[in-house]
Amino acid sequence: MNVLQINQLTKKFGDFVAVDRLSLTIKEGEIFGLLGANGAGKSTVINMVASLLRVTGGEIELLGKNIAKHTKFAKSNIGIVPQELAIYEDMTACENVKFFAGLYGLRGKELRSRAEEALAFTGLSDKRDSYPRSFSGGMKRRLNIACAIAHRPKLIIMDEPTVGIDPQSRNYILNSVKKLNEMGSTIIYTSHYMEEVEELCTRIAIIDHGKIIAEGTKAQLKAIITNQKDIGIELRSAEGLQAEKLKRIAGVNTVMLEGNVLSIGSDAEVNNLSSILQELMASGMEIRSMAANEPNLETVFLTLTGRSLRD
Amino acid sequence: MNMWRIAIKEWATLRDVKMIIMMLATPVLLILIMGTAFTNSFNGSATVGEIRVLYEAPDGEGALAEAWGRFIRDAEAGGVRFERGSGAEDGKLGVQNKAYTGYVEVTEAGLRYYGNNRSGIEDGIVQGLLAAFADRYKLAAEAAKDPSGPQIPAWPGGAGADYVQETAIDAPMQPRAIDYYAIAMTTLIVMYIALSAGLFIEDERKRNTAVRLLAAPISKMDIFAGKILGMLLANTASIIAVVLISKYMFGANWGDNLWMVFLVLTTQIAFALSLGIGVSYMLKSSAAGAVTMTIIQLVALFGGSYHRIADDGTWFSEVARYSPLRWTNDGLVHLIYSDSYATASIAMLINIGFSVLLLAVAVAALRRREGL
Ligand SMILES: Nc1ncnc2c1ncn2[C@@H]1O[C@H](COP(=O)(O)OP(=O)(O)OP(=O)(O)O)[C@@H](O)[C@H]1O
Ligand SMILES: [Mg+2]
Repeated sequence: MNVLQINQLTKKFGDFVAVDRLSLTIKEGEIFGLLGANGAGKSTVINMVASLLRVTGGEIELLGKNIAKHTKFAKSNIGIVPQELAIYEDMTACENVKFFAGLYGLRGKELRSRAEEALAFTGLSDKRDSYPRSFSGGMKRRLNIACAIAHRPKLIIMDEPTVGIDPQSRNYILNSVKKLNEMGSTIIYTSHYMEEVEELCTRIAIIDHGKIIAEGTKAQLKAIITNQKDIGIELRSAEGLQAEKLKRIAGVNTVMLEGNVLSIGSDAEVNNLSSILQELMASGMEIRSMAANEPNLETVFLTLTGRSLRD
Repeated sequence: MNMWRIAIKEWATLRDVKMIIMMLATPVLLILIMGTAFTNSFNGSATVGEIRVLYEAPDGEGALAEAWGRFIRDAEAGGVRFERGSGAEDGKLGVQNKAYTGYVEVTEAGLRYYGNNRSGIEDGIVQGLLAAFADRYKLAAEAAKDPSGPQIPAWPGGAGADYVQETAIDAPMQPRAIDYYAIAMTTLIVMYIALSAGLFIEDERKRNTAVRLLAAPISKMDIFAGKILGMLLANTASIIAVVLISKYMFGANWGDNLWMVFLVLTTQIAFALSLGIGVSYMLKSSAAGAVTMTIIQLVALFGGSYHRIADDGTWFSEVARYSPLRWTNDGLVHLIYSDSYATASIAMLINIGFSVLLLAVAVAALRRREGL
């Protein structure tokens, strides 16, 4: 069954087209990844699905029903974890969860038990009576999730739920996403973090300038760039590196620097390794090691969009 | 139901102890400070003004003339001077010039009173006195609020008049500084509710909780109405607390009709809330706060919050006639000192009228808007 079907969805802010005739189908049980750079339009798509923004054109169907006509039904079946924290600092963790779950029609005993369940799920049971202002960033993020799941939505939308938190909390969140999925929720997950999406998602759409430019499983996406090789070069120091010059070498598509590690994406059949090395030596770079990398989603993204996921 | 959930949530986010203390302590302190600091200006006749009333009454030995004579001697002891005028035209002119608070014609047929409706307290006191007199002598009494205006009955009589009869003549009739400022500071603080009300959506937006509220299967109107209801209840409770504190701790006079006082204040709270909300929907958030603050300051200045406005015909006193706060203050004074509902009713109508207007503007903007 299709949980979500998006058809020719468009959103304009004034003259600016943030989402451009985007179509997408998400099946029950999927963890669907939306990958895109800043401003690609991920949140805009998600917010239209959650009825937070009006659509400019196109249709969205949730569980086979048009959300414009069945807004209440759609809202009841969606749980959204907003990109920014959305909790009341002056209500306890438990009160926060209960208040929001109450808006979905939960009452009395059921409300209480579902709230406890959501808190337990996010590992906040022992903090149930504490105020979020005393929470760490990771705990607030978890509460942000708890507030979205107590009503057991069919579709959970998570907009960058792991931004700016410690690795421990991140692992906790990634695991809970998997668990929620196992328990029967379909999930839409957006992120800048390639590794997260690779680890978590069953299907991925790469979105750029409001359009989907590639869609499929990890393997399918990587297959798109089999004609691409990825060369990793570790430098002693990247100071003085002129990436522009490297890009001008025949066959080179992308140049990316992370710390002292240079990754160069190049057409597989062009033999340009010696030119690359010459260029590096000419600009006084000292090479520590070299390797041919497996293509990863980062390379896929870079190849398709010509830009890095994070700026 | 969802509206109530949101209203209750509004309470929860208010329970911050510091916040509650601020909400109560500020007005209570203001009442105390203003009430004490300005005691002198209230004891001297300069500010309140000696109450002088012109009258026409039959001469001679009649029962009415005798009763009237006794009445004005009693009144004089209480600080109200009745002076015989020379004809109706003169009398009305005196009132119009504001040399006198009112002009009364005493005939066997009844009392006819022309009050200067800009004299707030004084007018209320005189009406109270006359009501008591009329009641005692079972005279049908009538009054016109303005010499030129339509003539309306000044007091409904019945149960209300009993109170006037008992207390108006014998009790000290002029409000002390503490009494005046208990009213003025309370109504001033109520105006400031507009400031926090103006932030009511901004708050949800800043905390991003607006997103969650909008994503939930409830309507925007539920959210809007729930938040207003919550703020109305919370603020009404705190204002009632202020009234009770000033009454029982400082002995401020709030009259015998506390429920009515609360009702008038509640309509004023509704007005303040609507003002803040209306302005915040009409203007960009950055400008809204400043504009609301300016409106509050003007309304307060011309509403008599900082000092009593003498009705001296200056441009200032003319402008003051249009301040909704002035109406509320006058309404409360009349309610407390002459047991008259007329001004209070007008004040309530004005408050509710403005509220409806401002909220209608906000709702229209809300419907058009994408978010809250
Ligand atoms: N309310 C708005 N008014 C005008 N432009 C907007 C509005 N919301 C978003 N945009 C623009 O639409 C584009 C897409 O924004 P969106 O928030 O969907 O990006 P995103 O993919 O979620 O980015 P990020 O990773 O930074 O969250 C951006 O260029 C943004 O500036
Ligand atoms: Mg986003």
